[in-house]
Amino acid sequence: MTAVTVATPSLAPSTGVRRVFRQLRRDPTGMLGATICTVFLVTAALAPLLAPNAAQGRGATDVGARELAPGWAHLFGTDHLGRDLLSRVLLGSRPALGSAAAVVALAVLIGVPIGLVAGFRGGLLGEALMRVTDLFLSFPPLLLAMVIAALLGPTLLHAAIALAISWWPWYARLTRSVTQSLRREPFIDAARVFGVREPVILIRHVLRNAATPILVQATIDGGTVILAIGSLSFLGLGAQPPTPDWGLMVADGRTTVLTEWWIATFPGLAIFVVALGLNLLGDALRDILDPRSGR
Amino acid sequence: MLHWLGRRLLTSFVTLFGITTITFLLARVIPSDPAAVYIGPLARPAEIARVTKQLGLDRPLPVQYVKYLRALLRGDWGTSLATKEPVLGGIVHRLPATLELVLLAMLIAVVIGIPLGVLTARRAGRASDAGVRVGSVIGISMPVFWLGLLLQAIFSGKLGWLPATSRLSLETSVLQPIPHHTGFAVIDALVSGDWSGLRDAGEHVVLPAATLAAYPLGLITRMTRASMLDVLNQDYIRTARTFGLSERLIQWRLALRNALPATLTVAGLSFAYLLTGTFFVELVYDWPGIGQFGTNALLNQDYPVIMGITLFGAIGFLSINLAVDILQARLDPRVRLE
Repeated sequence: MTAVTVATPSLAPSTGVRRVFRQLRRDPTGMLGATICTVFLVTAALAPLLAPNAAQGRGATDVGARELAPGWAHLFGTDHLGRDLLSRVLLGSRPALGSAAAVVALAVLIGVPIGLVAGFRGGLLGEALMRVTDLFLSFPPLLLAMVIAALLGPTLLHAAIALAISWWPWYARLTRSVTQSLRREPFIDAARVFGVREPVILIRHVLRNAATPILVQATIDGGTVILAIGSLSFLGLGAQPPTPDWGLMVADGRTTVLTEWWIATFPGLAIFVVALGLNLLGDALRDILDPRSGR
Repeated sequence: MLHWLGRRLLTSFVTLFGITTITFLLARVIPSDPAAVYIGPLARPAEIARVTKQLGLDRPLPVQYVKYLRALLRGDWGTSLATKEPVLGGIVHRLPATLELVLLAMLIAVVIGIPLGVLTARRAGRASDAGVRVGSVIGISMPVFWLGLLLQAIFSGKLGWLPATSRLSLETSVLQPIPHHTGFAVIDALVSGDWSGLRDAGEHVVLPAATLAAYPLGLITRMTRASMLDVLNQDYIRTARTFGLSERLIQWRLALRNALPATLTVAGLSFAYLLTGTFFVELVYDWPGIGQFGTNALLNQDYPVIMGITLFGAIGFLSINLAVDILQARLDPRVRLE
């Protein structure tokens, strides 16, 4: 449903983008989301410059300053190894952004071609592809990713791969529904009449028109992906020490949360705020592009 | 209806078959050598060869798959490498603890979420729009493990009102154990009139259940509100208003009944989310359920348990979807005609 309504106006992409920006500016919660996302991106880009102690952010320890409560010297306090938590949280934006981008990119790379073929060809092949796709969606969310990450062995890269393997079906479904509605468009028939080969039609004409809804979906998914990565790391199925990874840092402070509350609180707050920003922005985008999809 | 139900059951069965294929392939394909994983890091080549033969890993994959399916049907889901307990038994044994959490969380979400959705739909407008949206987005953006830790730090650490971890206090579980009927601590205590046990079990379950409820609460409130707004704009509601029916009757009986199918779908979705959410909540609150069993298995690469819990979770997910569809078909006749 969403995809069909989104795909049709993309014949004039530039006015579409401008319209989105104009409407976004009138939507306070959407703007809040956009602001948070911008701050997140800037932080990730400049983290080593912003961090009071970049070396500790990367993992250097200072055993003399262990478990200091938040104060002027350390705004977020220090962890069990005396590292400045503010620096760790700031540098943690990098693995978070990198792995989230990797998950979405991988999922798009797997899902979009499958959706394109399934939607354009249809028939038995399309049916078979979609059955397999749906099978991957028949596990409770995140469970499949947790299992794959554990079996591959815990690293941040494996966690990202595992998430992508359980995420691509959404893009396959979206791409298929967009492709199906485009298949009947006159301009596709026209291309065919001119003797354009099928792969060229798929990439030049179909994919280009499907790109906008896929990109929007990727933004909407960003928040969920950030949360999912944090969750895998928290369980110990993602990044390993001394990576400044938010989920891992929350896990680090888990057992002492009743006394040294700040060690788990601030990295978790970072995950929450970034996920909130992405979700608010995604929500606003969905509303602008498909007014019928709930309020 | 029967015809529809038959078809729906058949597709569920096919899906189940596909799920077993995936769990089987995961266990056989991803670890480069399952036999080595089976023995552990200190495996010697001769031992690996012996175990490979013993587990039938030298046979062709289709043969192994059939063997795996047969064992599943017999109720033999393998044996945990770490604790040596049978996997299916281990899951069933821990099920009540997990269900206690999940059901209570769902109850909290429904009992608060639906009325909240109806009430905020009545005051539709910019402020209420933004309020519900931000509130529900907060609910779904909150990392469940982090929320659990925060509640622990506040209600156990700072205020000291509630216990931070485990399902029962040591005094209750050792000195005055709650008589075992159903395995649900709260219900068992209630049935046998063990008031101190009930109080203890209740105090322990509040925080984990509340933690787990945040996500479904956000979704349910929002969906109820959205579909109430849709329904309230329809002609039959206007007709009811012109007949002078009380606003209360219109909202809570006439409108809500037609808004519920959408809420039900989201409730089913969030139920599925709770299946994985419980992994995190059980870790944070040291709750002896399936999630904890699963987390330990994941960290130790205890793959018979991993496969068992994945399959169990997928079956749970499938059953919930089926139940939602059947309820949906009962509430909304249009579904059956598709």
